[in-house]
Parts: sequence; C-alpha cells; structure tokens
Amino acid sequence: MANNDSKASMLDLFVFETNQMLEQLERLILDSEKSGGLEVAINEVFRIMHTLKGSAAMMMFNDICSLAHSLEDVFYYLREAKPPRVDYSELVDLVLNAVDFIKSEVMKIENGGNPNGDCADISERSKEFLSALKANDLSLTDTSQRPVSSELKPKYSIGVANISEDEGKSRYEATIYFDEDCGMENIRAFTIVHELSDLAEDIVYSPKDILENDTTSDIIKNEGFQIAFATQNSLEMVQKFFCKTMFLKEFKLNAVADANSKKPKQKKTIVLDDPITNEAMNSIVKEVEQQTEGTQSFISVNVSKMDMLMDLVGELVIAEAMVTQNPELHGLRLDKFYKSARQLRKITGELQDTVMSIRMVPLSATFHKMNRIVRDMVRKLDKKAELEIIGEQTEVDKNIIESISDPLMHLIRNAVDHGIEPARERIAQGKSEVGKIRLEAKSAGGDVLIMIQDDGGGLKKEKILRKALERGLIEKGDISLTDSQIYSFILQPGFSTNDIVTEFSGRGVGMDVVARNIEKVGGRISVDSIAGEGTTMSIRIPLTLAIIDGMNVKVGGANYTIPIIAIKESFRLKDQNLIKDTDNNEMIMIRGECHPVLRLYERFQVQTAVTDLREGIMVMVEADGKGICLFADALLGQQQVVVKALPTYIKKTKGIAGCTLLGNGGVSLILDVAGLNS
Amino acid sequence: MSEIAASGLEDGEDTQKDKFLTFSLGTEVYGIEIKFVTEIIGMQSVTEIPDLPDYVKGIINLRGKIIPVIDVRLRFKKVYREYNDRTCIVVVDIKGVTLGLIVDAVEEVLTIAEQEIVLPPQLENGSYHQRFIKGIGKVGKEVKLILDSDRLLTDNEMNSLERVC
Amino acid sequence: MKVLIVDDAVFIRLTLKAMLEKNGYQVIGEAANGSEAILKYNQLKPDLVTMDITMPQMDGIAALKAIKKMDPSGKVVMISAMGQESTVKEAIIAGANGFIVKPFVEDQVIRGLSKFK
Repeated sequence: MANNDSKASMLDLFVFETNQMLEQLERLILDSEKSGGLEVAINEVFRIMHTLKGSAAMMMFNDICSLAHSLEDVFYYLREAKPPRVDYSELVDLVLNAVDFIKSEVMKIENGGNPNGDCADISERSKEFLSALKANDLSLTDTSQRPVSSELKPKYSIGVANISEDEGKSRYEATIYFDEDCGMENIRAFTIVHELSDLAEDIVYSPKDILENDTTSDIIKNEGFQIAFATQNSLEMVQKFFCKTMFLKEFKLNAVADANSKKPKQKKTIVLDDPITNEAMNSIVKEVEQQTEGTQSFISVNVSKMDMLMDLVGELVIAEAMVTQNPELHGLRLDKFYKSARQLRKITGELQDTVMSIRMVPLSATFHKMNRIVRDMVRKLDKKAELEIIGEQTEVDKNIIESISDPLMHLIRNAVDHGIEPARERIAQGKSEVGKIRLEAKSAGGDVLIMIQDDGGGLKKEKILRKALERGLIEKGDISLTDSQIYSFILQPGFSTNDIVTEFSGRGVGMDVVARNIEKVGGRISVDSIAGEGTTMSIRIPLTLAIIDGMNVKVGGANYTIPIIAIKESFRLKDQNLIKDTDNNEMIMIRGECHPVLRLYERFQVQTAVTDLREGIMVMVEADGKGICLFADALLGQQQVVVKALPTYIKKTKGIAGCTLLGNGGVSLILDVAGLNS
Repeated sequence: MSEIAASGLEDGEDTQKDKFLTFSLGTEVYGIEIKFVTEIIGMQSVTEIPDLPDYVKGIINLRGKIIPVIDVRLRFKKVYREYNDRTCIVVVDIKGVTLGLIVDAVEEVLTIAEQEIVLPPQLENGSYHQRFIKGIGKVGKEVKLILDSDRLLTDNEMNSLERVC
Repeated sequence: MKVLIVDDAVFIRLTLKAMLEKNGYQVIGEAANGSEAILKYNQLKPDLVTMDITMPQMDGIAALKAIKKMDPSGKVVMISAMGQESTVKEAIIAGANGFIVKPFVEDQVIRGLSKFK
C-alpha cells in the first residue's frame, strides 16, 4: 500500500471511530442525565475521553487531544474521589460542548481541512470545574490527584536481596541513558532495578526516588540513571542483561573494586496484588468464551460496496426476468425449464431480501440525536419539554436515514419552539407543566410511518387561512377546504414562520424544504392538529425504493407498471357504476364511495384502440387515503421490478416514479400513484 | 454500422482530435467531435414520457442502461420525418450526461483540420439550428456543420424544462 | 515474530498493525479488551503481545496478570499514556516485559520491540 493510501485510510478510520465515540458519548450523557444517574456513566465517559485523547495524539491533533485530556482529568477525579456534591447539569453541558467542538474539528478534518478551532474556552471551564470540585471536597486525599506518589497501601515493595556474602561476587556500576522521547524514564529505570534483582543484589541507584517523583525522569534524561550492584554473574551476562533494555541509548558498565557496600539485613519480598488462582483463570476463560458466543460480531463495510451490491442484485433480477420471460419461449412447453426457473426465482428472491436487509439500519441513532436537540432548545428557550421515543428499532434503508435526519430535526425544533407553550401557560390551561413530544416509528406494509406529535397549542387555522389568502393560494370565500387541507398549507414555500432557532442548524429551512426532502426519498408528509391540544406531523416513507412488486399494464403501445402496494383492486367496469360530476369528470361508485377515473391514455397522450371504459380494465389505486381508478387496456401480469431512476436529463414528470426494464427488453414506466392523484 | 464507430474510436485520445462523426438531416450534414460519441445503434422502440418538449422523444433501453433520446430534427425545429431503416441513434456522452441523438442517417468519420473550420456567419434571419453550430468545416467541395455539443445539451431552452414539472 | 495487538480503539490497532507489518512482524490477531486478549492468547499463542492499559470490561493489567500466570515466559509490552506512571509500575511488578508510551511513532515502536526479536 502506498504511503499516501495508508495515510488516507488511517485518517478515514480515525474520523469514523472518533465520530462513533462522540455519538456514543453524547448518547451516554443524555441517557444518564434523563434517568438521573450520571455516576454509572462516569467510568465509561472517562474511558471514552481517554481513547479520544490517545487517538488524537497519534494523529497529532493536539487541540482535540488536550481538550479530551482536561475532561479525562475531570472524570478521573470524579471516579476516584467520588465527591458528594457535583453540579451534574453543568458537567453535562461541559461534556456536550466538548463533544460539539471535537465534532466540528473532525468534520474539518474529514473535508480535508485543518482542525484549527480554539477550545481554550472549554478547556478553561473544565479546569475551573475540576478546581471547584477539589475545593469543595473536604477530604483531599492522595486519590484526589493522579497519583504521582506511591499508593497509600503498599502493594509491593522492591526486593532487596538477602544479606550478601562476598564470595564469588563482583560489584559493578552502570550508567544508563535512554532514547530521547521514549517516555517515563523513571519507570524504565525502575524496570531495570526490578529485573536486575533477579540476578544481582545490594542494588543502589540514583536518583533514588524514581518511584515517588516523576521529575526524576529529567535527571535521568540529562545525567543518566546510575546503578550499582553485586552479582555472581559474569560481565558478559551483565552486559547481555543491559543490552536487553527497551529504548536503551547507551550504557557504561564497569566493575568496581570491592568496597564495603551496604548490606541491609532486612528481607522483603515482592507481593503481587490479586494473584490469580488456577480456578479463577479457568472461570475467566470460560466466561469469556460464553460472552463471545452471545455477542454478535460486526464488521464495517464501505457504503459504496453495499451500493454496488444492491445494483448488481437489481441487475440480476432484470437478467433473470429476461431469461424466464423471454419472448422466444412464448408458447413452448418447457416443464423442466420452468421448474428450474422457479428455483432460480426463489434463490434470487432470497438474495434480494438478504441484501436489502443489510442496508436496513434502525432509526435509533437518528432518533436519539433528537434528544440532544430537545435538551438544548429547552434550555435556551426556557421551556419544559421531554422527548418520548417509540419504535426506534424500526429499520429503514441507509439512504433514507441520511435524508430524513434534517427534516426530523426541523420538525422537532418546531415542536419545541412553536408547539410547546411556556410552562406557565401550560399550567394555566390545566396541562402538565412539562410538554410531551412523541417521536414514533412503525412499519406499515411496505412503508415506514414516522410521527412527531406534540401536546402543545396546535396550529391556528385562521392564521393559516389568512396567510394562504395573502399568498393567493386560495380564493376569498373558499370554504370547501378540509382541516387537513388547511394545515397542509404550511408545507408551501413562504409559510415558514420566522425561524429564530437558526443558530441550531444554521440551515434556515422551512417546512417546504422539509416536505421536499421527504418527497425526494419517495415519502409524504401530512399535518394534523387540534387547537389547544397539539399537532401531529406524519411522515410515510417507502421502505425501499429499489425493488418493488409491480403490476404491468398495457396502454396502446406503451407499458406501465403500477406498484402492487398501491393497488386495492382491479375489475371490469359495469355500466351502472359510472357517473359524471358537475365538472363532467368521470367517477365510479364502489360500495357507496366515489372514486375519480383517470384514463391513462389521455393522461399520457398515448394512442390506443381501447377507449371504451367497458372494454379495458380498471385498476383502483390508493395513496394518502385518496383512491382513484386507472383505466388501461389490459393487465399484463405481476412482476418484481427493479426501479430505475429516469435519466436526470429528463426532468421529473408528475405521475412517473421511474422506469424499469421488462423481460422482453422493453421499458415500462412506473407510476407514482400519489403524483397521479394531484 | 457499428464498424464506422469502431474504426473511429480505435485510435487513441490524441488522434481523436480533428475527427468528426458526420450525420445527415435532409440535405445538411452535421459533424460532432468523435470524442463525444460512444456508439451508434439502429433505431429501436422508444418509450415515450409525457409532458416533455416535442424533441425529447423518450427513453430507450441500451443493454440495461436507460438513456434519453432526442430527435435532432425536431430539436433544430425542422420538419419531422418518419423513421426508416437508415435512421440511427448516435449515443453521445457529454460531460457525464448520456444522450441518444436520432438522426436521418449516419455518414462517416472525417478528419477536418482546425484550419479548415471557420466561424459560422451570424445571420439575422438564419435558421434555428444556428445556435447549435460552432463552426463550418470544409471538406473538398462540401461543408459540414460542426456542432457545439455543450449547447446541444445545455441550451437555455432546455433549462426551462425544470419549471414544467 | 507473531504479535497479538490488544487495544480497545480500532484506530490504534490499525496504526500499530501497519507499523508492525511494515517492519517484518506478523500480526496474528487483535483483541479489544482484556478478556478477549486472554482468549486470543490461548488460541493463537503469539510470540509477543502489545497490551493497552485502559480498556473496558477487563483492563490491561488484569489481562497481563492472567497471561503471565498461564504462560510465565510470555512477552507482554504495555502501551500506556503519559500520566499512567503508577499503573505502569504495577504492570512491571506483575511481569510486563516493557512498555511504550503513547503517542508513539513507528521508529520508536520498532526500536523498542526490536529487543524482543
């Protein structure tokens, strides 16, 4: 791998992992804040900060590193000292601010820029927070700081050898220099002392307080580490020993004329903390094996590879249709062939389902992001509201997740900003002080339904009507509008109320942009409200756009495909059901309900011999609760179709959702029922 | 028919300069830089798409890829002519957009040196297709109208389509 | 030389792996916490283990002790951060064969580990 490639992929991984950790951290903090127990999360927050610090340091992003470090210090103190009075709300703010900072720095990095942000403010605050904690804490024990000195309980002691006899032993002196920047020279010196004690005695060294005093590292760096000892081992052995030292730059070793060396009479032994017994060992191994059986292993896959896989599966479906529905087979009796073809279909179908499920991702991450939004807004606007999340396990295609995140944020912001009233007002109205926003997702047939419901003041019909009049969307005296039609005016451009919360996202979107973004993924949004009680925004999105079950129909020489999901029924018209309304529009009466008729050949300007409604076929379709009857020449049959987008050169046509290739090589246009409705 | 394309496309990038694929619309012969041409196919059934300008005939299936096709006659506001055996679709790729051009007939691949191309005269009452011509190439006694591919694709009229839908 | 890399951060593992493989070491496995490290040590029997200290579920010190208990001749090099002096002391006492301080650069790592080859 070329240097640049590996650098780039390391950067990618850094960005990916850091973002993941930030997400995890944010969620952890918000969840524990909600459930009132930050204590449990302290250790994990500490660990995440520690890892963030480490990774940032590796990549030399020093600002991120130092910010993570200062927060790590705070949480280390919280973990060890367990101070009784902590301003958790401020702590959460601190962490969230830090998360935001790092997030934006990482985004700069992701886009090839430089992380040049200034976190001095947040760093200061966290240092002040820590000092305040320490000041408050009356019992300033050693555990209040990162232990530079040895523990309170001596968990070990340096082995000083037995009283040594003089026979056969030589005394040596050595001065050791470590490599520059190898870090923790005092501990490295300690390592030497520790390991030397296996083959030498009467060990003395300087600086003496290497364990207690980290500044001895500087002395060691400048003057080297000096150690003297007695040993029976040969000079060669001793040399070999020193040569094995990690990060050894150089050492001087010489034998010393034997003088009266100190001979301490005490015998101390090394005591290890928590020696692990064999049984304990076995149970650890067993526990670990059990754990790994239960946990699912995940791998991360590049999204573009997933997209390629999806495309290929789509092509496979088309190719399979081109084989099994080839016009050349028409009329031939091929029992064995069709049996194999069915088997092929079965396998292709399973492959399709599996690939699609890989791309499905639960909404939980997106939904939990909303927690943050509500929290921040509630604090800024001084209102009281809480978010209830239901059905977060509902899965949608990965592409869809990305497209609905922004619209959802906007809707949630609206709910807090315009929906939920200030606490006093709510109490005055007899409502609960804390407003409730309900974010719910559930799957319904081939769609996902997402609802954002608030128990706030609801939409003001008269206000909307007035604005609609102003903008010429309705005529004065137009009274035939249903409530739902009135409310849907807010989705028109120009209806966005002054967005005072642009500081939150800075995108300045209006409801019309929300609607458009949802439509882009094939979804629909509808608005409902009850004055004084609240507003509900309902979003319906098809689970997957890529492969659908369709019914092929013929209109003249053209082929159209109607998504099966939209079809309620199909039938041949009988005279008595057909009626005309005052505008001469054709309608059909079915079981007491009136449905308009849409002659496809008229709508799409296609020449066909079948113009008599009694000769062709009626297909009743429904979208958004409105049903219409499509008139076509004939049904051609059901087929699984791969939705292909119309080339971008051809701008979007109302009523056409895309196209697909038929088994005979022809192209069929896929109808967008909702689009035909309007 | 594809051999014509092949011979033109066999040469490397550099040698594509100055090479043009020529096609005819009635008595006029047009040329388009060979570098834009990906292939030439015979006329095949076009799936119509409603609510589009008349010259956008619709879409075709080219080995699994959906490609829009335009009738160049109609684009140049000439009289529509029925398609026959000689009618071809010249598939071009201009700035990443793949498009099929329906033409009366495909002629050949010609080399027209830069010196042989002059700027077109800007006539007051010139024909509509003027806007798409960027030069006049002289080949022997004949002239070939060199197309401005960008214009063909992105002429302002095209952009007004956006407001239709 | 067969190495087992233990660190809870994928990013660190990848960085270290790249450094090692570039210099002739063979990374035969990775683990993200102490318990996984013990399991993999048993399964893969590496010549050397690089062990991060701070990890969830079971930290590097506990894993070090367990591995040393199972295989006293096993070679474990701790990966620590500045400020973890006391923990590193603990590790040395428990039998760690050395340590490297983060952030590390390739040169440093290779020089340090060369003592084990």
